[in-house]
Amino acid sequence: MKAAGPAFSRTGLVLFLVFFIAALFADILAPFPPQERFAPYTPPDGTHILGTNDLGHDILSELIFGSRVSLLVGFGAALIATILGLGIGLVSGYFKGAADHILMGVTDIFLLIPRIPLIIILAAFLRPSSWLIGLVIGLLWWTSTARIVRSRVLQVREMDFVLSARCLGFSHRHIVFSEILPNIIHLVLPKFMLTIATAMIAEASLSFLGLGDPGMKSWGMMLNFAFQKGALVNGLWWWLLPPGLCITLIVVAVVLIGLSWEERETAGIAAGG
Amino acid sequence: MKKSLRYLIALFVIFTLNFFIPRAMPGDPLANLLGEDYVIDEASLADLRAELGLDRPLPVQFLRYWSEILRLDLGYSFRFHDRVTHVIGARLPWTLLLVGSSILLGACMGTLLGAFSGWSRASLKNRTGTVLFLSVYSMPPFFLSLLLLYVFAFRLGWFPLKGVYASGEWTDILRHFFLPVMSLTLYLAARYYLIMRGSVIQERDKAYVLYARAKGLFGRRILFRHVFKNASLPIVTLIALDFGFIFSGALFVEIVFSMNGLGTLIYDALLARDYPVLQGIFLIITVMVVVANAAADAVYPLIDPRVRKGV
Repeated sequence: MKAAGPAFSRTGLVLFLVFFIAALFADILAPFPPQERFAPYTPPDGTHILGTNDLGHDILSELIFGSRVSLLVGFGAALIATILGLGIGLVSGYFKGAADHILMGVTDIFLLIPRIPLIIILAAFLRPSSWLIGLVIGLLWWTSTARIVRSRVLQVREMDFVLSARCLGFSHRHIVFSEILPNIIHLVLPKFMLTIATAMIAEASLSFLGLGDPGMKSWGMMLNFAFQKGALVNGLWWWLLPPGLCITLIVVAVVLIGLSWEERETAGIAAGG
Repeated sequence: MKKSLRYLIALFVIFTLNFFIPRAMPGDPLANLLGEDYVIDEASLADLRAELGLDRPLPVQFLRYWSEILRLDLGYSFRFHDRVTHVIGARLPWTLLLVGSSILLGACMGTLLGAFSGWSRASLKNRTGTVLFLSVYSMPPFFLSLLLLYVFAFRLGWFPLKGVYASGEWTDILRHFFLPVMSLTLYLAARYYLIMRGSVIQERDKAYVLYARAKGLFGRRILFRHVFKNASLPIVTLIALDFGFIFSGALFVEIVFSMNGLGTLIYDALLARDYPVLQGIFLIITVMVVVANAAADAVYPLIDPRVRKGV
């Protein structure tokens, strides 16, 4: 995939920073504590910039606190998925042979699992916390990273500097971590960002089904309540649209950053050979 | 041949996983197997436990599970008072209709627009298209549906707010289906647009394109005679691999539009904690993903001669 140009990556970075700061300083930035109650169904005005919901909670404050869940689950899940995918891809590509056969067999099976339906089942049984949701997403979304890493490692391991390291008698561990890893990390980083995007969408989708962490109100959960309580048929747009737009914008930000890194990478290959 | 063996192994592993989930989860396995939406006295509870074989050792339960699967028995739903296969079977055609028509429309729309966009790089129209599809790509499918529903059904009043069929006439079905199909189509088109755009940009600088230009072909001609074929072939495999993802998207679209498909079924089953139905849907979608992949493997050599000749 290719996006276009530095304008895109700058937009992504700025958007991302906005959400990151909102999450970091939610206590200071939110105009009201998210649990404080005012008159319900207030349309946007001077005091409540985005109005209030059915319980009288200030929607802007809920939005600002909601960014924490999205970033937390997105980063946590992507970190687990990337470490798993990186490990499996490295072992598979470097050692080849039986290890490769087994690991790629497992990867092929994981690729066929319908992930969202599986997570729905697990979440229904477990009534989960944000941590658990992040963990399960991470454990299911490593396959494409593993495949990309493996195919690149297969190339890198045949290169001269790896051969000379082997001739000098370095251990496998040294070769994998000091010779090969630095040469694939630029491939993994954009993939990491795109995995964050997928994880954020998965978290929002689960919360929309009412399977989110009851202790942390995420944007998906806000949409779930708004949808169930008829925000749409009553035209309460300020309750319905902002959480969805926030999810979209934060995912756009992460995707733009990921795509621009990916593009820099392919441009590097084209120029450097 | 080797591939079909792989698919069988995958099916075996995933179905086995499905066997262990309710037994490994916290809580009473009986409740985990039956769902939580039932009221029964103690005596018949013990009967049920015996009837489900829960008092037998795990290997026996496992064999039993497989003999039931092979007889296409996915258990009984207390929420819907019917066999799970019946409950799912009644909803499945609607979901398949939504998924099928959206894949067709979305793949055409995405590949065509993506090809144009990749071919003629930097114009304003092009940029707007990319920004638009990038935003749709970044939307959770349920929010895309909510957005379309809000604008076209609630604000403009062009389409009904919910349901699949009011009168059962085909014009009515079409009117109810338009927005859901539109949502899923856009959602898929965005994905294939970005991929197609990327691969056309890569193909554009290859030698055969230069040759076509030297031969005297120009512009769109080269794109459709030569580049389009090469760039769009991988999409076929991709759609098959994406099948689980597409189905998941469809589930959410159906929930938002309150359509009579698997999505609303999942929603109802979740509220009642009707685990057999949830697991049944998981298994059905798994089977479809595997079938779609096997079908793509079978079709691919027919459309791409390079694979056929083993080049």
